[in-house]
Amino acid sequence: MSSMLDKLSVILRRDLLIAIRHRTGFVMTLAGLLTELTAFYYLSRAIGPGFHPDGVSYFPFLLVGTGLYTFFVMSAQAFLSSVQEAQQTGTLEVLMTTSTAPAELIVLSSVSAFTGSFTNLAVYIFAGAAIFQASIHANLLSCAIAIVLSLAIALALGIFAVTFQVAFQKGSALLWLLGSGLWLLSGATFPVQSLPQPLVMLARMVPFTYAIDAMRGALLDGRSVMAMATTLITLAVFAAALLVIAMLGLSLSLRRARRFGTLSFY
Amino acid sequence: MNQVVFESVRKVFRHRPALFNWVGRERTGETVALDNVSFSAAQGEVVALLGPNGSGKTTTLKLISTMLLADAGVVSVGGFDAQHDGNKVRRQVGIAVANERSFFPRLSARENLDFFAALDEVSRPARPKRIEDVLREVGLEEQADTLVMKFSSGMYQRLGLARALIKQPAVLVLDEPTRSLDASATAHFWTAIRALARQNTTVFVATHNFVEAAALASRAFLLHQGMLLADRSLGRRLGTAETTDELRALYFRLTGVNAFGEGNADTDDFGESFVRRAGAAS
Repeated sequence: MSSMLDKLSVILRRDLLIAIRHRTGFVMTLAGLLTELTAFYYLSRAIGPGFHPDGVSYFPFLLVGTGLYTFFVMSAQAFLSSVQEAQQTGTLEVLMTTSTAPAELIVLSSVSAFTGSFTNLAVYIFAGAAIFQASIHANLLSCAIAIVLSLAIALALGIFAVTFQVAFQKGSALLWLLGSGLWLLSGATFPVQSLPQPLVMLARMVPFTYAIDAMRGALLDGRSVMAMATTLITLAVFAAALLVIAMLGLSLSLRRARRFGTLSFY
Repeated sequence: MNQVVFESVRKVFRHRPALFNWVGRERTGETVALDNVSFSAAQGEVVALLGPNGSGKTTTLKLISTMLLADAGVVSVGGFDAQHDGNKVRRQVGIAVANERSFFPRLSARENLDFFAALDEVSRPARPKRIEDVLREVGLEEQADTLVMKFSSGMYQRLGLARALIKQPAVLVLDEPTRSLDASATAHFWTAIRALARQNTTVFVATHNFVEAAALASRAFLLHQGMLLADRSLGRRLGTAETTDELRALYFRLTGVNAFGEGNADTDDFGESFVRRAGAAS
């Protein structure tokens, strides 16, 4: 356990050092977040104060929906990019010869990517509340549970993307497909109920829909864990199943890459 | 005790062209990288892998380090099967690859080594001293805190060696380790490898340099087209000019390739041929 924490700490430190040494990138990410937030603020004003999806004002609705959507997609993208870069430089092959088991290494690396994206999400929500006066009524316990389960779902998404990258060198294509589907079906920018009935049913099979629902309920409505039990349990089942499938897929793709000699192909 | 064992190992790379070559043209079929290769290397042996480009040297090294898995046969390191006990094999093998870019460019040499040492399960308290030691061993102590994106090719290569050494591996695998090193660094490196061998580390060195092979190796393997053509024990003749000449002659005779890359030459007259062509060119 202490060895795993030690490995996690060096991975986090590596990514922090790289992020701060890319000074321009760090500032531009922050500027991008604030620009996006401003655009959504004026979009909600243009639509007008009469629109209350799921019983909340439109700007906070957008704030949580787009914040979480961006978190899912960008964390998986950041994780995938780090693996693609490692393939291009040849670092991946060397990493796979260290004493750390490949699956453990990939999961620990993903934690770092998700930490960065989670920080962005926190800044995004905080700026929305502080600068644009989004009304927040959080239930902290419900928020914490929704965040942990969302992280698990995002982790599974990232591992799926990396699995595709290692197996077929096309992780970004999978991410693009999932990203656009997620935009439509998860209710990030409009209530899922506005969709035609078949798409509503499809949306109910997408874990991100539950994650965004849960986060809106916990952060904007202050709903308790008991009040959201069904959503949280569904989310937990999705998270557990997806993580198991993703890890199995990753192990198989890594083994396949060692056999075919394609570990560093990109 | 045999530290590394290959038993009838075969490795094939398949070429699968996109859209069955309807658009564009790509190689089809397969490349046999290693064909029925068997050998064993004991603790403390230094094995030089010699052979032309594409003969299977790097594939052999990658199989030892588990970067690749064999299609047939058995690869075992320290008694563990690379196919089924990959993690146990990786704990014993340090590898320095020919690719010089396999580092994080915006981390310093020390930070890179700290990162890889942690993944190689060198304990946190032991790491600072271990890093100092390997940096000194490869002559990079002055550049310890320089970002590696500012390194020259030779410095990258030294850092690669440092990374391979940091976990004090039982088996050290080196792919053209002195390709970009200057003469002084090369001599220093050879001394370090001999010292490691005396401490019972088994070392595999893929090289195109006969002088290096003769200076380092207690055994030389000659590979050609995926086959192990010769396994010569060099024993006490380490580092002599005769050994270098013997390896060179063996290489050209068995591979059937002369100094100009032409096949089926009588390569015993390598020197004469070289002089003749040099004269013709002038």
